[in-house]
Amino acid sequence: MHIAEGFLPPLHAAGWTVAAAPFVVHGVVRLNRQIRENPEAKLLVGASGAFCFVLSALKIPSVTGSCSHPTGTGLGAILFRPPVMTVLGTITLLFQALLLAHGGLTTLGANAFSMAVVGPWAGYGAYALVRRMGGGLLGSVFAGAFAADLVTYCVTSAQLALAFPDPAGGFTGALSKFGAIFAVTQIPLAVSEGLLTVLIVRLLRSTSAAELIRLRVLKEGQAAS
Amino acid sequence: MLAIDAAAYRSPWRRRHPAAKAVLAGGLLLSALLLPPWPGAPITAAITLLVALGWARVPPRAFLRSARAPLAFIVTGSVTFLVSVDASGLAWAPGGAARAGEVIGRCVAAVFCQLLFAMTTPLADVLPRIARRPGLSGVAEVAGLVYRMLSVVLETVDAVRRAQVDRLGTLSWRARWRSVTGLAAQVFVLSFDRARRLEDGLSDRGYTGSLAVSVESLPLTGGFLAVAPLPGLVSAGLTLMLTSASAFV
Repeated sequence: MHIAEGFLPPLHAAGWTVAAAPFVVHGVVRLNRQIRENPEAKLLVGASGAFCFVLSALKIPSVTGSCSHPTGTGLGAILFRPPVMTVLGTITLLFQALLLAHGGLTTLGANAFSMAVVGPWAGYGAYALVRRMGGGLLGSVFAGAFAADLVTYCVTSAQLALAFPDPAGGFTGALSKFGAIFAVTQIPLAVSEGLLTVLIVRLLRSTSAAELIRLRVLKEGQAAS
Repeated sequence: MLAIDAAAYRSPWRRRHPAAKAVLAGGLLLSALLLPPWPGAPITAAITLLVALGWARVPPRAFLRSARAPLAFIVTGSVTFLVSVDASGLAWAPGGAARAGEVIGRCVAAVFCQLLFAMTTPLADVLPRIARRPGLSGVAEVAGLVYRMLSVVLETVDAVRRAQVDRLGTLSWRARWRSVTGLAAQVFVLSFDRARRLEDGLSDRGYTGSLAVSVESLPLTGGFLAVAPLPGLVSAGLTLMLTSASAFV
């Protein structure tokens, strides 16, 4: 769920842009270094960006019988690591604003903070934690995608609650209202995205093991397991 | 091709410099965000619609269809302003409807400004110009590459989806899940395969790391740039005039 153009007051939009900027700059510096050392990587990153855009536009069947879109941030962070995903996510959000009118230009900072910064880091953190605890590849992938999706929407709810505190309940009241509308309805969607990501990675393990090894998701010899 | 991008390529304003169009749409966007929502938002929205559909000749149906998704978010988000939550539970928020109306009005005007720019300016005209700026060249080149690959990948998605529908891949819940995961995996494989083939092709041609393309030069001077700030200024002037007139009454 992207915050639409004009929804946030100008000061909040500027504040979230400032908050997201260091992460995006860090990602750009990392990406530039990677590309300088290995110019061919630019093409791979370009392909990854196009994949992220398409992933976020896929319609997944939801429990209510309708369809929804995955955020794609969990899978992106697992495949390309959070700093690169921050840059790809921001580019994807810019393209979604200008090509699909999903999200806005003044709200790009707020959307980037939730979907390209906090979501990928939370997703990657959950993935790494479960993997370190011996959860296996697919269990870790589910945890990563589920956490990235849910945390993204919780941050969006908090951003909206900060911008529009409830007249009686203040920030907490507003957070529960926006949370009820966006985050709680998002739980089944987060489960759906987790399952979808597991199925994608399972398929990729059998069809594109070499790419997963190149991206350091799998180690040599793990492909068949 | 995506509807907004297709409209931008067909726009009579295609040969106007992107910076001049950014001044025009940006001026209106500033009016939408900074002016008092009443009467600023309806005035800015009306002027933007007039500029988009009249002057820039954006197809009305495409414009309104593109506005549907953001408007749905805006309405859903604004519903929360109608109620208030505290320790005693849920109640109607005093002044909630007025607040919702203000936010909806401001957002509608802002979304129209965003669409005005997006439906008259293809990204292919913007990204190479950003790539010339020092410090932004690397990321703008990556963005340009994503954009170029996007159209090919979206065509692939379309073809795979059609094939899945033809093979009854959307008939049941189970089939829909199988189809969507197959589609995502297929796109991943094809994207990386295409990147690898591009890599091979470029290295055979002495690729040094730069993917700069030549861009048609468009003049930034002239009448269009001079009048570009006018719609925003007219919107601001009208709003301030009406606001002061109503305060006087």
